[in-house]
Amino acid sequence: MVVSSRSLSKLFTSTSRRRFCSKAEGLSNAEITKKRNELFGREKARQLALITRVEKIEVEHVGPPENCRLLMNKGLSTPFNCAMHIQENLMSRSVLALVNGQPWDLHRPLEDHCELKFLHFKDEDPALSNKAFWRTGSFLIGYTLERVFKDQHYVQLCSFPRPRVETGSFVYDAHLGISDWTPSQAELQCMSRVPAKLQFEDFKLERLTVDASLASKMFEDNKFKSSQIPFIAAKSKTGHSVTLYRMDDHVDISEGPLIASTALINRFNITAIHDIESEDYGSLKRVQGLSTPKQLPIHFWNYGILCERAAKLNPAPMPAQWNKEAMATRNNA
Amino acid sequence: MLRFGIRNRPRRLSKAMGRKEDGHGTGPPGRLERMTIIVNSLVRHERIEGSHQYMDEARGYTERLLQIAAQGDKNHEAMDVANYWLKDKDLIHKLFKVLVPRYENYTTCATRMWTLPVEYPGGKNKTSILELKGNPWPPVVPNPRNNSKSLINVLLHNAKKDYRSASKDGTPV
Repeated sequence: MVVSSRSLSKLFTSTSRRRFCSKAEGLSNAEITKKRNELFGREKARQLALITRVEKIEVEHVGPPENCRLLMNKGLSTPFNCAMHIQENLMSRSVLALVNGQPWDLHRPLEDHCELKFLHFKDEDPALSNKAFWRTGSFLIGYTLERVFKDQHYVQLCSFPRPRVETGSFVYDAHLGISDWTPSQAELQCMSRVPAKLQFEDFKLERLTVDASLASKMFEDNKFKSSQIPFIAAKSKTGHSVTLYRMDDHVDISEGPLIASTALINRFNITAIHDIESEDYGSLKRVQGLSTPKQLPIHFWNYGILCERAAKLNPAPMPAQWNKEAMATRNNA
Repeated sequence: MLRFGIRNRPRRLSKAMGRKEDGHGTGPPGRLERMTIIVNSLVRHERIEGSHQYMDEARGYTERLLQIAAQGDKNHEAMDVANYWLKDKDLIHKLFKVLVPRYENYTTCATRMWTLPVEYPGGKNKTSILELKGNPWPPVVPNPRNNSKSLINVLLHNAKKDYRSASKDGTPV
């Protein structure tokens, strides 16, 4: 397929010369990303400064290469740090950790004495890892959408449904600020390069639980997220906290858990962008993608078949307001 | 009809037909003699190990023996064949009373072969295991892994399901 570079450059930014100029009516995508990243970093540093005295906890590791007991730091050490003490293999392949039987991000600090287990994609039952991977796929679509478009297209991410691997694609529903756009294969390919390049980086996915007021400040430029935050906060354990994730400089709301690092990803394709109609949010775009982990190599022919299927409209429920009962199965899962 | 692929021609197994001390070759009867020894020990131990050529050749004779024995111990022909192939006469009882009932409802063949790994530096002859199915020994390959829940297998399985349901409806895929 021959596509002139001019037609692509009309839509997408070139990463070498991204614009940081502000528009008259508000901030551009890049500026918002920068702002959220700064707020996230500041909050993380603040929370870290709260730990003034290092307390020790005992961590019982169960599983290969051998069961062992580690002495770690409360609120500071993560399962990844435990893996550093045990074996390099655990650092490179682990997707998630199980802390007292609960799924736990690899870069989330441990809070108390616990039993620790590491999960990866070739486990006997990798359902938890698969879900985390699929959720990360949605998260990375969000990352892509916020940086590929030029500044005149103001992207507002809405939400993504609970991960269901059986549907064949992961989804992010968003408002792209473009009307009447049917992306060509070349354009999709162009977009896919951004997340596909992440496999060569080792970006950690950091988790941070923040107060709802800070979350609303971070997402004040996004009309969908700012309307969802009160409901997300009300549903949380404390009643006023929101869980955020950061990868590189991209920050998004998600319940988690997500995978440990972008180095676990192998192929990544944004397969289709469909027009959808939501009762509460109006017309949106449903961006669908497909990805496979490095630990499970796949032949390109098989991958092509999966891509074709991933381009069909995903049957996940449409985005809607949080207070609705129908939304019990949805949103920033 | 045998339930697995066999060679067009029998192997000559020249070592089995080779020379004796008196200078004369044993010829085809010597080869058959060797086969009876292998079949006999297979029926006794239910799992044996040896060079691939001999195991593969003996496999066909064992299958044929079990096939003929299925006619029952009242059948003269079956009894004659069993008498020839099993030099240990206690095995004739095992053949008709244990093995024949065991393979009565099998839709596959009764034997299984495994190729063993080559030991360094290795020669041109492979070593194999020949076993009767349903034997009391622990499995040769322990705990086969179930990969059906791995991410790619879940994706491919659902893609297959989609494809089949679409082709059943007659909608173009």
